[in-house]
Amino acid sequence: MDFSLTEEQVMLKDSVTKFLADNYAPEQREAIVKNEAGYSAAHWSTFSELGWLTIPFSEADGGFGGNVADVSAVMEEFGKVLVVEPYWSSIVLAGQLIARCTNQALKSRLMPQVISGETHYSFAWLEAQSCFSLSYVSTSAVKEGDSYRLSGEKKLVLNAGADHFIIAARTAGDVADEAGISLFVVDAAHPTLEKETVRLMDGQLACNIQFKDLVLGQDDMLIAEGEAYPLIAEVVDEALVALCAEAVGAMTYLYKATADYANTRKQFGVAIGSFQALQHRMVDMFMATEQCRSLLVRAQCAILDDSAERSQDVAVLKAMVGKYGRKVAEEAVQMHGGMGVTNEMPIGHYLKRLMMIDMYFGGSDVHRRRFSDMRYL
Amino acid sequence: MHAKFSPEELAFQEEVRGFMRDNFTPELAARIHHPKTFRDASIEWQKLLDGKGWAANGWPVKHGGTGWSATQKYIYTTELAAAGAPDVVPMGIKMVAPVLYSYGSEEQKARFLPITKSSDIWWCQGYSEPGAGSDLAALQTRAVRDGDDYIIDGTKIWTTFAQYADWIFCLVRTDNTGKPQQGISFLLIDMKTPGITVSPIISVDDEHHLNEVNFENVRVPVANRIGEENQGWTYAKALLTYERTALSGVGYCKRKLTNIRQLANQVSASGTRLIDDSDFRARLADVEMEVMALEFLELRVLSAIDSGGAPGMESSLLKLKGTEMQQAVQSLQWDVAAGFGGISPDADDELWESEGNRARREYMFGRACTIFGGSNEVQRNIIAKFALGLSAR
Repeated sequence: MDFSLTEEQVMLKDSVTKFLADNYAPEQREAIVKNEAGYSAAHWSTFSELGWLTIPFSEADGGFGGNVADVSAVMEEFGKVLVVEPYWSSIVLAGQLIARCTNQALKSRLMPQVISGETHYSFAWLEAQSCFSLSYVSTSAVKEGDSYRLSGEKKLVLNAGADHFIIAARTAGDVADEAGISLFVVDAAHPTLEKETVRLMDGQLACNIQFKDLVLGQDDMLIAEGEAYPLIAEVVDEALVALCAEAVGAMTYLYKATADYANTRKQFGVAIGSFQALQHRMVDMFMATEQCRSLLVRAQCAILDDSAERSQDVAVLKAMVGKYGRKVAEEAVQMHGGMGVTNEMPIGHYLKRLMMIDMYFGGSDVHRRRFSDMRYL
Repeated sequence: MHAKFSPEELAFQEEVRGFMRDNFTPELAARIHHPKTFRDASIEWQKLLDGKGWAANGWPVKHGGTGWSATQKYIYTTELAAAGAPDVVPMGIKMVAPVLYSYGSEEQKARFLPITKSSDIWWCQGYSEPGAGSDLAALQTRAVRDGDDYIIDGTKIWTTFAQYADWIFCLVRTDNTGKPQQGISFLLIDMKTPGITVSPIISVDDEHHLNEVNFENVRVPVANRIGEENQGWTYAKALLTYERTALSGVGYCKRKLTNIRQLANQVSASGTRLIDDSDFRARLADVEMEVMALEFLELRVLSAIDSGGAPGMESSLLKLKGTEMQQAVQSLQWDVAAGFGGISPDADDELWESEGNRARREYMFGRACTIFGGSNEVQRNIIAKFALGLSAR
């Protein structure tokens, strides 16, 4: 048993913290969110120069050889200042689908672009009516000779400016079957693909895409036909751990910022932080954050120890982070009073981000049900 | 980052499991869990643990402790709970002993530590008073010096198992002039001393754990004082910290949840299972998730201790969250067992062993766990001050 950070992780965390301290003050972040891409291309280049984009990739693939704990260490720091660059969607989610795929020819072509950060990939999986089920795929890919004809719609694909999408499409089976799902890489500029950009409540740009009779080849498939589900489930589980690390970072910021504010804000002639009614609520914010951090450690260990219960541990983490992330942010808003409901104050932006994190890949209830279905047979 | 045990730790786990299997028999368990046989059966169990060298596992090695790592302590506690075996009754081995070996004289150590370890003396704790609960420093039991003795007058309350106790360790007031914390002394008192009266208090589980202990002109040798006069608060505070870290009860919660799942899996006469009820399932999952988090909160604290660091404020969270979860589990257990009926406390032995009675007893007894050892409201005050830097008015 060992939960301490390695020397490398401490150095990594320090380098991330230092960069963010200089470049990610609330007003700097606001300017970044407002620009056309929804993130800073200059920062993305710096992430690349500092080697952060290589972290989760194996040395054989040209990466740093890190694991879910290394990625989480970075993501937690990102969460403290609400970094908007598409690290999670490009590197952790789409990047790992590519890194762990079995189509070696495609992989060796895409990998260098992913790791260098030159090209952005995004995983297009969510469909209307799917209730966040990973196996609910109605998008069809009909085989015709050596090629496939894809038709369907995908919702809320992160990083609207991505150069390529990885589309989950059904090559066989019923709409919710785990078997029969395939993964295709497609150029975002493909003429058959229609894209509608939407700004999410946390400021990020996402897109809804639709396509009819989009023709792709066998070469564009990441893994053997119909066998993509286990790969998707594995990568999503790990990505959710990293996402929850970001949430824990955001929650940590919130309970500290709220205590600091309560110590300085005076009403009735005293700091409001001296009121017991508020103190106990702030303790509960702290406790909720530490409970989430404990499940974060648990889920990381489950993945690194290759535990049979890893999916249960991830579901529990996502369920609790969803519930308590929102709760902690709501309490922070309340205790900041009138200032808490202004966009001028950073607090509300953390609430928005934590609500989006809860929603990604299904909210608290979805993951509690997922846990229950695995645990109570 | 990993949560695996080393081969040595796994071997230790097997050793503990084997010991529990061989020694904590269902017959002994039944006697420990019945109020009529509790005292003698507890002593019997603790003597078995002492024979193995495990009863006083947290003590320094030179006094008979084990020198276990924090991980080993966790394994031991977990296996103990998994077997349904109780830990030692804490007042002696876990509460007064650390004060004795930290602050007691050589003579006091030699006199009390060996018999405490072997459970040949039963201790009770004389801290709370009718006017001093959460505000412990307000205590007023007086100790007035008279030659080589103190004369004690006052009342202690909520004294667990005073009816069985041979000795009581007490906080008494030796000075009333300074701040309340400054005039307190720590005394060891023989319960057979003339002038001591023990009166039972029946708690909401309809059982007799608690007592009021009255002192009227009770003569106690000055030699029975621990450390310096008026320094008792310092010694007691160190002890309270020790008491708190031992209170998360994760093992207990896990064992109870296993039991709850088994009961909820039973098929009722109408062919349904409680576990399939979506409302119940959601409630059970909520509690399980919190306990899974609590388990790793405890492991994080232990891991920090093992790698030489000091546990941070996470350890105060352990008492707070741990006791909340114990109560949550007890509530669920009651709901699951409610179908078995709210058995009356004078039920015969067969009904006494029923799930319904167990659920009633534990739920009712469990109301106290968020109150003793510093109420959870006091814990929140402490965390607000030390973890969040918030000051009281």
